[in-house]
Amino acid sequence: MTEPLLKICNLAVSFKTHYGQLEVTRGFNLTLNKGETVGIVGESGSGKTMSMLAMARLLPGQAYVSSGSIQFAGADLLDLNTSEFHQQISGKRIAMIFQEPMTALNPVYTIGRQLTETMLLHENASQAAANKRAIEMLEAVKMPQAALRMEQYPHQMSGGQQQRVMIAMALMNKPDLLIADEPTTALDVTVQDEIIQLLVDLQIRFGMAMIIISHDLGVVSRVSENIIVMCKGDTVETGKTAKVLTSPTHSYTKGLLECLWKLEDAHGIAKQSSTAAVLSVNNIEKTYSISGGLFRKSRTIQAVKPTSFSVFSGETLAIVGESGSGKSTIAKIINGLISTDQGQVLLGETPIENMSDKDRARVIQPIFQDPYSSLNPSQTIGYIVSRPLHIHNTIAASKIKKKALETLEKVGLSSDFYHRFPSQLSGGQRQRVAIARAIILEPKILICDEPTSALDVSIQEQILDLLCQLQKDLNMTMIVISHDMAVVGYLADRVFIMHNGEIIESGEASKVLKHPETDYAKKLMASVYSVPRAKIL
Amino acid sequence: MLRFIMNRLLVVIAVALTLSVVAFFLLNIAIDPAQAIAGEEANFLEIEQVRERYGFDRPIAVRYLEWFSGLLQGDFGTSYYWNKPVYQLILERIPETLTLALMSLSVTVLVAIPLGCAAALKPNTMIDRFALGIAVSAQAIPNFWLGLMLIILLAVIYPIFPVSGDKTLYHFILPSLVLGTSSVPPVMRLMRTGLLEVMNADYIRTARSKGYFGWKLLIRHSLRNALLPVVSVLAVQLGHKFGGSVITESVFAINGLGRLALESILGADIPTVQILVFIFAFTFLALNLFADILNVYLDPRLRK
Repeated sequence: MTEPLLKICNLAVSFKTHYGQLEVTRGFNLTLNKGETVGIVGESGSGKTMSMLAMARLLPGQAYVSSGSIQFAGADLLDLNTSEFHQQISGKRIAMIFQEPMTALNPVYTIGRQLTETMLLHENASQAAANKRAIEMLEAVKMPQAALRMEQYPHQMSGGQQQRVMIAMALMNKPDLLIADEPTTALDVTVQDEIIQLLVDLQIRFGMAMIIISHDLGVVSRVSENIIVMCKGDTVETGKTAKVLTSPTHSYTKGLLECLWKLEDAHGIAKQSSTAAVLSVNNIEKTYSISGGLFRKSRTIQAVKPTSFSVFSGETLAIVGESGSGKSTIAKIINGLISTDQGQVLLGETPIENMSDKDRARVIQPIFQDPYSSLNPSQTIGYIVSRPLHIHNTIAASKIKKKALETLEKVGLSSDFYHRFPSQLSGGQRQRVAIARAIILEPKILICDEPTSALDVSIQEQILDLLCQLQKDLNMTMIVISHDMAVVGYLADRVFIMHNGEIIESGEASKVLKHPETDYAKKLMASVYSVPRAKIL
Repeated sequence: MLRFIMNRLLVVIAVALTLSVVAFFLLNIAIDPAQAIAGEEANFLEIEQVRERYGFDRPIAVRYLEWFSGLLQGDFGTSYYWNKPVYQLILERIPETLTLALMSLSVTVLVAIPLGCAAALKPNTMIDRFALGIAVSAQAIPNFWLGLMLIILLAVIYPIFPVSGDKTLYHFILPSLVLGTSSVPPVMRLMRTGLLEVMNADYIRTARSKGYFGWKLLIRHSLRNALLPVVSVLAVQLGHKFGGSVITESVFAINGLGRLALESILGADIPTVQILVFIFAFTFLALNLFADILNVYLDPRLRK
C-alpha cells in the first residue's frame, strides 16, 4: 500500500460572526490516491466549496479551519505557514480552476503574462522557457492558434476559451492535484461537454489527481469514480459513484436523484391545445448595433433573424438555445422591453406596439432568472406583490391586501411573509414572490426567462411544479425561455430550438427532445448528461 | 487608439470653444471695460473717449471674434493694468505655478496612495482608522489656516523653512504640503475602496491559488486594477492645483498664475482675466484627456 496523495481527516470550517463561531462544514473526510478523481456534490451552502478553499488556503477573511488535518504527500498542510504554503504548494503542487472564467482572469494583463508568471513564480526559468511551456499548455487544452493567443486579453475570448486558459494556467507547473470548482456551470451545455472531456483527457495525460466540485450529478458521474455527497455542511454519503447513484442509502441523496429523474422525464401529457392564437409573432427581426465613434464604423449583430410563430391559448411553449442564440431578445420584445426593427407582435388582434405599457402589462407578465436581484431589497414582500394592483386599479383599495395574501398563499407562502423583506428569504421563496407578483393581475401570458437557473435542484422541482399548477388553475399561457433541457422537458408542450437568431427546429416537446432532427439539436441533446439509473425505493 | 484620441480631441476643441465664449462674454458683460480702464474717478466723457479709442463701442460679438482670432494667432492681448502683453505676464508666472502644482501632486501621491493601500489591506484596523482620521481632518481644515499654522510652526517657531517667497525649490516645500494635503482625502478614499474591491475579486483568488501572496500579490495583480479610477481623480486634482492655488500662492507670496489672477481681478484687468480663465479651464480639459488616454493604456478592455 502506498501512501495516499491526499488525506483529509475530520475537517471543520467555521466562520467568525458577531454571535460567535458558526460551523459551516464538519467531519469532512477524503482520501485520494495519485491519479484518482473524486467528485463532491451538494447544493449551494452545503460546504463543498468551503472544504476545498480551506485546503487551498483561499478561505474568505472570516472563515478558518476549526479542526481536522490535511495530509498532502506526507506533510500536514495546516502546519505550513502562509509563505511556506504559497511557495511550496499553491499553484505548484495543487492548482485550482473556478466557476466563472470571465472574472477569474485578471482583465488588465495578457493571457501570456498570466500563464507564464505561474511558472516563473515557482521555477527559476527564463521568460523564453515559460513562453514555450505556456504555448504547449494552450495546445494541450486544444486552444486554436495557441501562439497567437499569448498577446490576447481575457475579454477578447469566449467563455469556453477563457476556461481553457484557466485550465492551461493550472497545468503550467504540472501539479499533483487539480481542484475544479464548478468548472462548467457558467458555460453553455455544448461547451460544457468539451471542457469535461478535456479535463478527463488531461488528467490521464498528466497523471494528476482531481477533485471536481459540482451541483450537477451528471457532470460528477461522468468524470469521477468516487463521490462525496454533502448537505448542510455534513457529508451524508461517500463511495463509488456508480454505487451511490444506483443504490443511495441516505434520504438526501435519494431525494436529490428523484428530483433529477422527475425533471428528466418529460411529462408529455399533451394538454388540450386550442387553436386560438393568443400571441402571434410576425416576421420580427432585431439587429443590435455596437456604435462606433466619429471615426469608427458601427458594427451590427443580428440577434434575431426574421422569425414568425404563434402561441396558442393554454399551452406552454419553450424556447431553447445557448447564450447568444436570440431567445432572450425574443422574450424582451414580447415583454415590450425592447422594440423590433421589422415585423410585429400581435396580442390577439392588437399589435403590441400600439398598446400602452400598462395595457400590455395587464396581459403579459414576466418572471426573471435571478430572484436575488429582481426584487427591490428595500420594499416588503407585501408591497412588492400588491404593487401591480395599486398601479392598475383593478380592484378596490380596501381589498388589495386580502388579494395579496391570497396570491401569496397560492404560491405557497404564508401570511407571515407579508411584512418581510427579500433579504430574509431563501432563493426559492424569493422566486415564489416573483411568481406571486406576476400572477396577481391574472395575466393571460406568463413569460418565464430561465425561471429556475439560479436555484438548487431540489428547489427547482418545487418551483416548476408550482408553475405547472398555477398554469392549470389560472388557465394561463406560458412561454419559457431556458437553456436547461430538464426544465424544458418538465414544462413544455411545444419546443423551439434557437441557434444564431433562428428557430432551427420546432415541434412537440416529446418529439423534439427525444428525436431531434437537425445536427445542432442532436448535439445539444447529446451534451446533456443524464445520471445512470436503477430502481430504487 | 488613435481614433479614440482623435474623438476625444474633437470634444476638447468643442468644449474649449464654448469656454472661450463664456469667459469672454461673462467678463465683458459683468464689468464695463471702458470704466475699468478709465478708472474710478473718470467722468462720463473720459469713459466714452476710452470706449471709442479701444473699440468697446462695437458689438460684443465682433469684439469676441477679434479677440478669438487673435488668440488663434498667438496674440493674447495687452494688459491695461500691467501695461504688458498678456502672454509675457503668463510666461513669467507659469514656472512658479507649475512647480507648485507638480510638487503638491507628488505630496498627494506619496501620502494618499500608500495610506489608501495600507487601509485597504487591513480594513477596520488601527491603520484603517488612522488613515480615515487623516482623510477627515485634511478635508475639514481650510488651506489658508493650515498654511498659516505651518508657517508659525515650521518657519517662525522652528525656522526650518522660509516663511514665504519663491526663490528656490526649498521655498516650495511648505506650500506644496498645504496644497497637496487638500487632495489627499479623495485620492486616499478612492484608493482604499478601489483596492478593497479588487482584493475581493475572483482574479485575486486565482492569483492566490497560483501562489501569490503579500506584497507580490499587491504589486503584480491588484495595484494596476485599483489605480484605474485613481488616475482620473489625480488628473482632476492636478487641474485644481494648477488653477485653484490662488489662496496658497497668496499666503506664501508665490508669484504664480493664481496670484496673477487675483491681482488682475482686483485691478479689473479684463484681458488678463479672460485669458487666465481660458487657460485654467483648458488645462483641466487637457489633463482629463491625458487621464483618459492613460486609462486606455492601463485597461486593455477600453482599447477596441
